[in-house]
Amino acid sequence: MLSVNNKMRQYWQLFFFLSPLLLPLLLFWVLPFICSIYISFTDWDYISPTYDWVGMDNYRYMLDDSQFLQALNNTLVFSLAVVIPTVAIGLGFALLLQKRFAGSSFFRAIIFSPWITPTVAVSIVWSWVFDSKHGLANELLGLIGVPSVSWFEHGNTAMFVVVLVTIWQAVGWTMLFFISALNKIPSSIYEASLIDGCSAWTRFLKITLPLVSPTTFFLLIVNIINAIQAFDQFQILTQGGPGGETRTLLYWFYQLAFQQYDMGSATATAVIIFLITALLTSLNVWIGKRWVYY
Amino acid sequence: MTTSIQENTQQIHLSHKTPWLTLKHVQQAAKYLFLSACGLFMVFPFLWMFFGSLKTNDEIFSNPLELLPQHFHWYNFVETMQSAPFGLYIFNSFEVALFTTLLVLANSSLFAYALTRFTFRGKTAMFSLVMASYMLPAAVTYVPSYIVLAKLDLLDTHAGLILSNAASVFGVFYLRQVFLKIHPSLIEAARIDGASELKILWAIVLPQCKAALTTLGLITFITNYNSYMWPSLVINTADKNLIATGIRQFFIAQGNYGLNWSHIMAASTIAVVPLLILFMISQKIILSGIADNGIKE
Repeated sequence: MLSVNNKMRQYWQLFFFLSPLLLPLLLFWVLPFICSIYISFTDWDYISPTYDWVGMDNYRYMLDDSQFLQALNNTLVFSLAVVIPTVAIGLGFALLLQKRFAGSSFFRAIIFSPWITPTVAVSIVWSWVFDSKHGLANELLGLIGVPSVSWFEHGNTAMFVVVLVTIWQAVGWTMLFFISALNKIPSSIYEASLIDGCSAWTRFLKITLPLVSPTTFFLLIVNIINAIQAFDQFQILTQGGPGGETRTLLYWFYQLAFQQYDMGSATATAVIIFLITALLTSLNVWIGKRWVYY
Repeated sequence: MTTSIQENTQQIHLSHKTPWLTLKHVQQAAKYLFLSACGLFMVFPFLWMFFGSLKTNDEIFSNPLELLPQHFHWYNFVETMQSAPFGLYIFNSFEVALFTTLLVLANSSLFAYALTRFTFRGKTAMFSLVMASYMLPAAVTYVPSYIVLAKLDLLDTHAGLILSNAASVFGVFYLRQVFLKIHPSLIEAARIDGASELKILWAIVLPQCKAALTTLGLITFITNYNSYMWPSLVINTADKNLIATGIRQFFIAQGNYGLNWSHIMAASTIAVVPLLILFMISQKIILSGIADNGIKE
């Protein structure tokens, strides 16, 4: 009798500890994820109560849909254009600021500060800087005799602005990760290389770079995943324009779901975003398991 | 003789040492110069925004290269605050971010404690479920989550936003790692003394993780204060808007877009300043929290 009571008590205790998180997790993550997959096989339009099962049609249609393919391509271009400079610059800052010196925390804080501010607010500021008529960028170009650019009227320049804003916000966070990785490298290795008389450049190539490579890889993947989910800066700066040239998969999802109410195609697009993210995450876990130096 | 030799050696010594010192100095100076240039680029948008908010629009259009305003038009802020309820938006954002943060701290602690200190069937499955949700892009859940909120009659409410953001997979992940580092002997001792599990969590485990809890709390707060996409979908009533949606509405409003830069910059300043102040106060905790523990966003 006592043990049954005890068992009940344990179940209640477990319920008390797990359910406050499980409830919102199931309600707003797990269940919606399953529903999304289901809806992606239908032609539901949000307004009407009925819908038809269309099987793979939404997915098959994507392959012929120029707008989807354009968005897929834009996502790829945007991710790579953001991630490579972010990781390179982040590593550069980390190497400069790794050791403590007078002002090092100040510079760290300054470089990190864009990350904590609302993307919407700072994107608005950047939209003024790149305003075609009275923006600072064009005025500065004018000083060196370059004719002004209508930044948001061409796909390439519009994408450039969004990429710049995204790098500016992400670089400080990447730097902090690299600093933590650099501080974990045992100083004995550096001392050995000093005795061997290695130059600073060799030391960087042969010791630092290989030893931070797991972190580099992790940061590449995480920054790509974040870039795939970028929305705020696109909404403020370009709204996917001109002519869809800065429309990423996520923005295309947003337009399908909340402007065209084409829930079937929208959720199918979301599932594709999920598959790309899942693939990258698995790659991250897989490589992380077999490629750790320390 | 001896003195001249000494002088000689000293000179040799000096001539040997001086270029070393200068090279080091030049390197130092170059480093500071380079870092200052980069730092200026990083904060420049904030400066440009702040000084822009103190100019008149005429000034902005006639002297677009001037950083400092001719006169500090503080009145721009009064006019901006009158043209849209920014104080209310900031209050809304604080309210939603604060309650979300408290919920996340509470339920992540409970869940992480159960994962690290209890033995029960399905524990591995439970952890895998959390791990799997980690890689789920929020967008995949938006359409059905919206319907769930509608069914619960929580659309267009702050309670709906708080509840739908209350599961932080990252929080569980992070606190689990921190809890694993706590020595089990303390917990065992308390159990033998007959303390309840909740009591152990509250009185023994949590006080040892203050730094981690603060970092998690700050990051959750900042993320929720800044969030835009999901709140802009859930909230329809103007008075319930969060700050990010509020300034976006102001930015695209008739007569503002591309014309009224001074007031738009004032609005952006109003949105950014509370966070910059929060960051100034807490930067040590945030920076070391991320650099020491390797936090994912």
